[in-house]
Amino acid sequence: MIEPNLSVKIGSLTMRTPVTTGSGTFGFGSETADLVDLTKLGAITVKATTTKPRIGNPPVRMVETPAGLLNAIGLQNGGVDNYLEEKVAFLRRYDVPVIVNVPGENPDDFAYVVRRISEAGAADAFELNISCPNVAHGLDFATDPKSAAEVVTACRRATELPLIAKLSPNVTDMRPIAKAAEEAGADALSMINTVIGTSIDARTRRFRLANRTGGLSGPAIKPIALFHVWRCAQTVNIPIIGMGGIMNATDAVEFLLAGASAVAVGTVNFINPNAAVEISEGIAAYLAENGFTDVRDIVGTVSE
Amino acid sequence: MIRRVLAPVLRNERLAAPGHHVLTFSAPELAATAQPGQFIVVAADTGAQLLRRPFSVFNADPATGEASILFSLHGPTSRAMAQYALGDTLDLIGPLGGRSYTPDPRPGARHILVGGGYGVPPLAFFARKLIAADRDAHVVLVDGARTRELLVGTEGLDEIGVILRPCTDDGTCGFHGRVTGVLEEMLNEDVPTTVYTCGPAAMMRAVAQMAMERNVPCQVTMEVFMPCGMGICMGCAVGKPDGTYVRGCVEGPVFEAREISWSA
Repeated sequence: MIEPNLSVKIGSLTMRTPVTTGSGTFGFGSETADLVDLTKLGAITVKATTTKPRIGNPPVRMVETPAGLLNAIGLQNGGVDNYLEEKVAFLRRYDVPVIVNVPGENPDDFAYVVRRISEAGAADAFELNISCPNVAHGLDFATDPKSAAEVVTACRRATELPLIAKLSPNVTDMRPIAKAAEEAGADALSMINTVIGTSIDARTRRFRLANRTGGLSGPAIKPIALFHVWRCAQTVNIPIIGMGGIMNATDAVEFLLAGASAVAVGTVNFINPNAAVEISEGIAAYLAENGFTDVRDIVGTVSE
Repeated sequence: MIRRVLAPVLRNERLAAPGHHVLTFSAPELAATAQPGQFIVVAADTGAQLLRRPFSVFNADPATGEASILFSLHGPTSRAMAQYALGDTLDLIGPLGGRSYTPDPRPGARHILVGGGYGVPPLAFFARKLIAADRDAHVVLVDGARTRELLVGTEGLDEIGVILRPCTDDGTCGFHGRVTGVLEEMLNEDVPTTVYTCGPAAMMRAVAQMAMERNVPCQVTMEVFMPCGMGICMGCAVGKPDGTYVRGCVEGPVFEAREISWSA
């Protein structure tokens, strides 16, 4: 049997499999390197990197909910200098593309981090995190087409590398924002970021998260994510990296059928850090079993 | 090396304490490398829980390749584990934890291990390691529980030379009162001492404060909720005195008491 082609292109970036890691669910690659052959990933999407170090939110930061995980980490990270000095060397030891997730409080912040990392050759693509629900201003960009476009435009001037706009589902309709990001020069879209939510402890009558609200991930949000991917795929002409509750290869295939060109796996990494590799293998098996020779042949082919 | 292991279950002993079990499994690499204070994360196919659950290593024997955890019925994962028997497999990742208990290196040092409830298993493992390294080591385990039958995890320790000082809230065994009652008396003696503690947050705070006030070194295991245990989720934040946070799993779980913010 011929091995089906799994490689996909996200702008000028070639991923040898259509599976990457969700930002914030895979650290900077080194933490679980004992458990994962990193070169078998389509790309490593690393934890968010900001202009300056961020302390993050006080605990409690995470709560498990039915079929889901509610988090409010608050973008704890060492900042761009720390990324360049301490994180990138490890990642570059492996033959695997690196996608750096970049949040910011204004378009200049985004562009600054993108330029610094781009000039250092320390990434192969950027995921613009215009939709983090757990920090002030994080969501603002992804709830308004004009703001989203401003961030993409500023970053477009700062790098030649592919830009992936990560969009929020916490809006009435994601399509105008997706379209605005595309028109501003985004090479791809990541969707969906987490769904905003909260959890309350009836016994103590308190919020479970110190931040009160958090972003919900995990299987609980998969139907929401599939819906938005499917709808946006019909609106934009750039590739979509689909994400939201993918636990196994079947889930990943569903996203491809809905119109995603690639997928990211997040929460499942906390349970099995090798999930992205196993899901890639599972996609290959699905394609072979169903007579497809190329993963691209199933993208967006869902029918009634 | 951190490994995911589908470990064959060897034994599942039900303890006298209601709902308490010791699960022993074969995991040679883990058994050879796990240090006291380190833990594993377990996935049980319950359909009801998404994340793995952490369990401190209770014993690890490099000679036999066997390791064990001591747990009580708490939620779906532990209820599933309670049913495991010879022939089943335990889906674990480990050993996890970036820092384990470090023995006080001073000659003649007294090691006071203070535990309560869930905190006793890693201390019992540490006590065995201390004695294995030096059969004359001065090791005292002060363990507290509500009542006699809930004192778990100390079986066999007195036989190898560990001095046991049980404490019960109801006076049914040992000292009638809290572990700090016994600890305070011991800390007033002029012996070079290090305190090692693991247990409920309020107990550890009281123990750490008592040690710090007397300038006695104190190592604490921070049993914060660990969503992944591997350093990738940033969920198990432990506050430091300077207002920043570190990960309980990889920067800990064992910390010097002075490294931690005890406010709140």
